[in-house]
Amino acid sequence: MASYIARRLLQLIPTVLFILIVVFALVRLLPGDPASAILGDRAVDADVERINRELGLDRPLVVQFGVFVKSVATGDLGDSIHLKLPVTTLIADRLPVTIMLTVMAALIAVVMAVPLAFVAALRRGTAADSTVRGAFQVGLSMPVFYLGLILLTVFGAKLRWFPVGGYGEGFVDNLYHLFLPAVTLAFSLSAILMRNLRSAIIGVIDAEYVQFARSKGLAPKLVLFRHVLRNALISTVALFGLSIGTLLSGAVITETVFAIPGAGRLMVDSIYGRDYPVVQGLTIALAVLVSVTFLLTDLVQVWLDPRVSR
Amino acid sequence: MKIVAAAALSVTALLGGLSAVSAQERGGVMTYGRYTDSLFLDPVLNDANVDIWVMTNFYETLIMSSPDGMTLKPGLATEWSVNEAGDEVTLKLREGVKFSDGTPMTTEDVIWSLNRAKNPDNGIWNFILASVDTVTAPDAGTIVIKLKYPDPTILAALSVFNTAIMPKAAFEAMPGETDAEKAQEFGKHPIGTGPFVLTSWDRGSSMKMTRNEYYWAKGADGKPLPYLDGLNFEVIPDDATRILKLQSGDIDGAEFIPFARVGELKADPNIKMELFPGTRVWDIIMNVRPEINGKPNPLADEKVRQAMNYAANKEALVQVVTYGVGTPLTSFMASSTPMHSGDKPLFPYDLEKAKALMAESGYPDGFKISILTIAGNQDDLGITTALQQMWKAIGIDLEIRQVDNASRTEQYRAGTFEMRTGGWTNDISDPSQITSYFAYSPTIDALHSGWKNAEVDKLFEESQKEMDPVKRAEQFARIQEIFNATGPTIPLYETPYPVALSQKVNGFYQIPLGNNIFTETWLDQ
Repeated sequence: MASYIARRLLQLIPTVLFILIVVFALVRLLPGDPASAILGDRAVDADVERINRELGLDRPLVVQFGVFVKSVATGDLGDSIHLKLPVTTLIADRLPVTIMLTVMAALIAVVMAVPLAFVAALRRGTAADSTVRGAFQVGLSMPVFYLGLILLTVFGAKLRWFPVGGYGEGFVDNLYHLFLPAVTLAFSLSAILMRNLRSAIIGVIDAEYVQFARSKGLAPKLVLFRHVLRNALISTVALFGLSIGTLLSGAVITETVFAIPGAGRLMVDSIYGRDYPVVQGLTIALAVLVSVTFLLTDLVQVWLDPRVSR
Repeated sequence: MKIVAAAALSVTALLGGLSAVSAQERGGVMTYGRYTDSLFLDPVLNDANVDIWVMTNFYETLIMSSPDGMTLKPGLATEWSVNEAGDEVTLKLREGVKFSDGTPMTTEDVIWSLNRAKNPDNGIWNFILASVDTVTAPDAGTIVIKLKYPDPTILAALSVFNTAIMPKAAFEAMPGETDAEKAQEFGKHPIGTGPFVLTSWDRGSSMKMTRNEYYWAKGADGKPLPYLDGLNFEVIPDDATRILKLQSGDIDGAEFIPFARVGELKADPNIKMELFPGTRVWDIIMNVRPEINGKPNPLADEKVRQAMNYAANKEALVQVVTYGVGTPLTSFMASSTPMHSGDKPLFPYDLEKAKALMAESGYPDGFKISILTIAGNQDDLGITTALQQMWKAIGIDLEIRQVDNASRTEQYRAGTFEMRTGGWTNDISDPSQITSYFAYSPTIDALHSGWKNAEVDKLFEESQKEMDPVKRAEQFARIQEIFNATGPTIPLYETPYPVALSQKVNGFYQIPLGNNIFTETWLDQ
């Protein structure tokens, strides 16, 4: 197991290097530069040239890339062009917010999906099954910003159970503020998970080893959890890991609707503003985050099914 | 010529007309919802409206713009005069002004601030003080500004945000080697003479301010302003959420209300829907070079441009896009710009005339042309889809290309665009800035359109030295006449700033340049 983890961690290095090159090139391939992005219609040539010179953007790309790699290696991601703050500070401020939102959404998605998948699978073809599946179908097809706005209007503005957007102060208050956005974000993921888990359970429940376990006289609950759930979860966990990327991109919209100062919004603003250092730094941080999530889901899979590590 | 402002006129008296007399209540914290956060709070080195429009809360200028943007009023200077030759300004400083850290404002601060603002190496606004030669202080209460040449815009320039007075000692005590590095630190905790002090700034989320205990101006009750104990800005990027938060009472005001919702909020008894007159103008900018990317350009034909102008129904656009909030333009500059001239809408809708002009032009059978719009911008989409329909009637096939702002700016600056949507807000209470960008070709080729008119260029250069306001207004009237008739734009409409406030908010306003003024804002307790 330890060697497996070590091997996977080593694989991270080329991944991150590859991302460094891609993000550096991509952000510069976009038309426009930071100066014209921020000066917009007021841009005059002299100002654009001066700003690009100050930012070192007039130097050859190879030189810029060398400077970039050198500073990344020392843990310095540069300063934001528009916010005049170190990128590492910005990431340290904003990324935890997005991570908290995503983790909360993931947990809520699982909490909603697993029991309902069981209900739907065990009562396959009944009214309960179609109700659960129908409800999730609606959740899946509803745009995130629209669902968010409905939840805000009903549970925030009308019922006053939750704050109308914002992030709050202090950990508990943060969690309270993040609940509605997390539910919004969780909805489509839990729909996907539920459907996947439901069919996986149906696939496993009639398998020979399950029938054997039952005929051995094991308690039905034990059969359900040890044999059915564990085996049905393997594909769902893989799907869950892959969905983290989607969840992070969904966070961009959710953060905007709920006025949460997270990394998603920072990323979008920085791309529009051609804030190269922030886009680069955030992409690297997100890439590492997603890679680590993949590693964790793989480890869970190994635990569920030891054959995976081989 | 001598311009003397009456020192007796206190700021309060000038602003007094805006809110009901004597009912002002003190105390409370107002929360204002903004669509985005500020970036960099340094008056000299900033380059965005999100900073400019709120910086007046921290920093103040020697002269200030009146609420209607048409005249000047005393700020940190109580009176001023310009000599006969028009190349020297003498200002009397207000007595007893202190910065928010309690240190008194001195002539040294004023000299240093103006020198910093005019330094050509500093930021993009130094052109505002391009005429300034030296700044000196003959005594502790007087500032003399010597100009390199007579400059009719100098007084308006001294009311522009970049000429704000900053504390020299506090700025220079900041860590860092260069001015830019020091500004980076200073901008995190601005110290100025303005009515509020920044106490915390949670980037992308909120700004918290308390009242400046040392503020110089007095309220209607004779006690120091501001009336508010504190002011919070909350960043709520989504329009619908910002309005929802206002309606649920979480915030007391919300800026940038989409035009589509102005009517609904006007009808809401709990909301004051304000439309503050702005210098915001909207137009379509046309590239008029004879060729674009090696191909002949129909927009170079003046008859074609006039036909497109007559075929564009501005009244309909005002209804469809701004829901009746805007008004058709009567000149390329907004009617709240000093020296604006023109009293009837430009190119009133006339399809027959448009068709006749097209028939006379070099393109009687029409042509295909593209327009660059900002992806996701509802106003842009509304304008261009409406124009698509309107221009079909004169044989023009309009292709809408949605791009992001930086991409559009690149094609704009390179002169390779065909048409684009455009919006503009003045930064100075004077017609010179907008005219320089729109019509005077040496600045940016008249909106990067390639349009050039020798008479306009000559008149503009003369207007920048003309000290007689009557003659100067005549020069600008002629420039507007020429540009409006033959220029490279489809003038659409001008719009106010839509701000929704809770019923308990009083005395808040935006000046036509956009600055948010909370100095005399008060809440019903």
